[in-house]
Amino acid sequence: MPVDAEKEISRLWRALHGAQDSTIKTFYQWRNAAVGLLPNANPSEIALKGWEAMAQDMGKSFLPRLSFYKGEEAFLKQVAGLYVNTWQGYGAVVKVEKGSNPMEAFIKWERCPWPSFAKDFDAPLKEDVTGCDLVLQITLEMINAFMGTNFKIETQKAIPRGEGVCLRRLYKP
Amino acid sequence: MGELFKWDYTQYPGYKKYPHLFKPIQLGKLTIPNRIKYAATEDNLNDKDGFVTDADVAYIRERAKGVVGGICCMQGVYMDEKRQGQGYVGQAACWDDKYIPGLKRLADAIHEEKAVASCQLMHCGRVGAVEVKYCHGPSPVPQRLRIFRPVQVMTKDDIKRCVDQHATAAERLCKAGFDIVEISGIVGYLISNFISSYTNKRTDEYGGDIRGRMRMVVELIQAVKKVIGDRPLGIRLCSDELLDDVRGNTPEESMITYQIAEEAGADYMSVTLGWQESIYPVISRDIPQGNWLFLAERAKKHIKIPVQMAYRLFNPAIPNKAIGDGKLDFWEMCRPMIADPHMPKKVLEGREDEIRPCVACNLCLARLFRDAPMTCYINPVCAHDHDPKFHITPAEMKKKIMIVGAGAAGLECAWVAAERGHEVHIYDKLTEVGGTLLEARKAPYGDEELYYHINFAKVKSDKAGVKFHLGIEVTPELIDEEMPDTVVLAVGPKYIKGTAPGFDKPNVVGVLDVLAGKVKIGENIVVWGNKKPGVGVALYLAKQKKKVTIVGRNKDFAIDINPSFRWRYNAYLRQNGVTVYNDCDIVEITDNSVTAMTYDGYQIPIKADTVVCTERAPNQDLKNAVKDLGVEIFEIGDMVIPRNLSSAVHDGYKVGLRI
Repeated sequence: MPVDAEKEISRLWRALHGAQDSTIKTFYQWRNAAVGLLPNANPSEIALKGWEAMAQDMGKSFLPRLSFYKGEEAFLKQVAGLYVNTWQGYGAVVKVEKGSNPMEAFIKWERCPWPSFAKDFDAPLKEDVTGCDLVLQITLEMINAFMGTNFKIETQKAIPRGEGVCLRRLYKP
Repeated sequence: MGELFKWDYTQYPGYKKYPHLFKPIQLGKLTIPNRIKYAATEDNLNDKDGFVTDADVAYIRERAKGVVGGICCMQGVYMDEKRQGQGYVGQAACWDDKYIPGLKRLADAIHEEKAVASCQLMHCGRVGAVEVKYCHGPSPVPQRLRIFRPVQVMTKDDIKRCVDQHATAAERLCKAGFDIVEISGIVGYLISNFISSYTNKRTDEYGGDIRGRMRMVVELIQAVKKVIGDRPLGIRLCSDELLDDVRGNTPEESMITYQIAEEAGADYMSVTLGWQESIYPVISRDIPQGNWLFLAERAKKHIKIPVQMAYRLFNPAIPNKAIGDGKLDFWEMCRPMIADPHMPKKVLEGREDEIRPCVACNLCLARLFRDAPMTCYINPVCAHDHDPKFHITPAEMKKKIMIVGAGAAGLECAWVAAERGHEVHIYDKLTEVGGTLLEARKAPYGDEELYYHINFAKVKSDKAGVKFHLGIEVTPELIDEEMPDTVVLAVGPKYIKGTAPGFDKPNVVGVLDVLAGKVKIGENIVVWGNKKPGVGVALYLAKQKKKVTIVGRNKDFAIDINPSFRWRYNAYLRQNGVTVYNDCDIVEITDNSVTAMTYDGYQIPIKADTVVCTERAPNQDLKNAVKDLGVEIFEIGDMVIPRNLSSAVHDGYKVGLRI
């Protein structure tokens, strides 16, 4: 019974993409359900509440993986790496680029499925940028509180704003 | 205070062998006749409102008996009515006078055994609030582990209240009759939270540098000291937090905390290390005995008060030498006396070979963290000390018992039954005792310690008069011929092969044959089975530089290893490059490959020249052959359902009591 490796890998690949899609779809399905139930509420506020809950859990999942063992510079890279891994899990093409000094790193999303799904579910693209920023800010606050660091993250470019890539600067002021 | 009870050890063999363990020592104004201490251990045996129970009194009484005049320290009490300091569901409380009678029962029980009664004050801080929503801490540093509650920052009033609660609780403990008061500041409890740069980010007088972070501790020591009179006050502090990955204190800072505690009035220091949030192992079986003694030695260089320490000091020769060499003053024990409450007593009486050895599995801890009462992997009586059903009493009718299988279950049953007065004969087809453990002990990372139980049970069996018949395979005819009243079957599990094509090939071998070195193995190995036997043999082979892959049907690997130890195996599998496919089975074996299939149908090709089978099944062959002989039959251990050493020992003990 020889294994057809190409067939096995392509099945797994399809299953992975299906899981990634359904994770994001579920978020927008819940968003729209909540918006429908609360006609007087601001839809963006509802969505942000959802992003906030996501961020809290994401932050908690980061903490056991953090280590300051190799110093602050390595720690900054580790934090950037956690963001990269998380968004890769969603199906984004994302990487870390070096900054102008060791305490600066850029996280660059060259492709991200979130804005596409926002469009599919009629959510405003602006909300997508704000939501993503909120997740990054909340998780970074948790990391800072945990490790006693003072890192900042700022958005310089965003795909939903038509700027081709999302670019975030992670740095120590 | 002087000496509380007169003890003369000079006539005992243990005194001659370990003279340093049985020398008196001064703690403050109190003279302790020896250097032995049962260190405070939570047991979750008390009621949900913190009242002391019969079970806890009996548990402590046995340990008090064991320290032969030394210190017996009851578990740490929580001191706040709001229960933010409570870290364990069955933790004793001391926030009101209503708890004094229960605590007095404990102190009395210890005194009745002529031991020194000690009690600990323990606010669990960051790892507390087991029954409420928020725990208390110096700063809002998020929890690394999800099981713990969010931290509520303590105001200065909260700190003052907490110091007062410690002092008031200490007063109550004195009224209850305790001779020593100890403050716990270890493993992530409140005091350690204040001391550590990881969890204390305060900018007021309770934060900042190490002196600022120690301020609360100093206030606490001074407040407690004021109310306990001449009684010694001890403190347990971390000598190394092992939190370098999260910017915890340096070992140098820890030594400063020792000096500050001494200056503040502590009469002795109990040296500990590590936090519950540390990523390094401290007390598991893979850590060599005596590994941490250098920390006690370092403490001795920084402070003048006596230094106590536990942590992998199971063998009395190690602390005896350390005390003799001036590296340690006091031998503390928790787990060795959970496994055998009379351990130091047996050392004194020259009965070391009768000590039921702790196998450092940490099941006791795993239970506590899951809100379950204390139990012991290896000691079936632990936490049942109060229950007569667990006591060995003479049998009403003496019987001739034939035990088939001299493994852990059979031996345990044999000595218990023999001590009850039965005539016990134990048979094994092997010429040595030990059963599966004869080979299983060869797995790396401390598994040789599992076999110590066999040594213990063999000695107990010999002393109880059990007759051994080794190298004899028991058949229905032999049973018929010997005419026993009762047969106990302890023949161990059946090692099985799968049904997929290729399991009949010569490159498919059994786990025991591999560990015994009886079969030739290749370089690329698939281990079939992801429970402990599979993990053990995988690591054994990986240590020989083989490329090993585990394929197992269980959803998670090593489900038969308790969670407080499983994480170590996870790390070792990773370190040794072992690939693990859980929730998978083998669907084909060829001469040089294995095809595994996941539960949802994905196929994984694995290069493999050898397949090691570790899966086990119940073994009913002999039972089926003898069930019609008309003899009373009991089945114990892995032959019933393959499990682990603990189940074998517990089965054996219980059936030994029932016959």
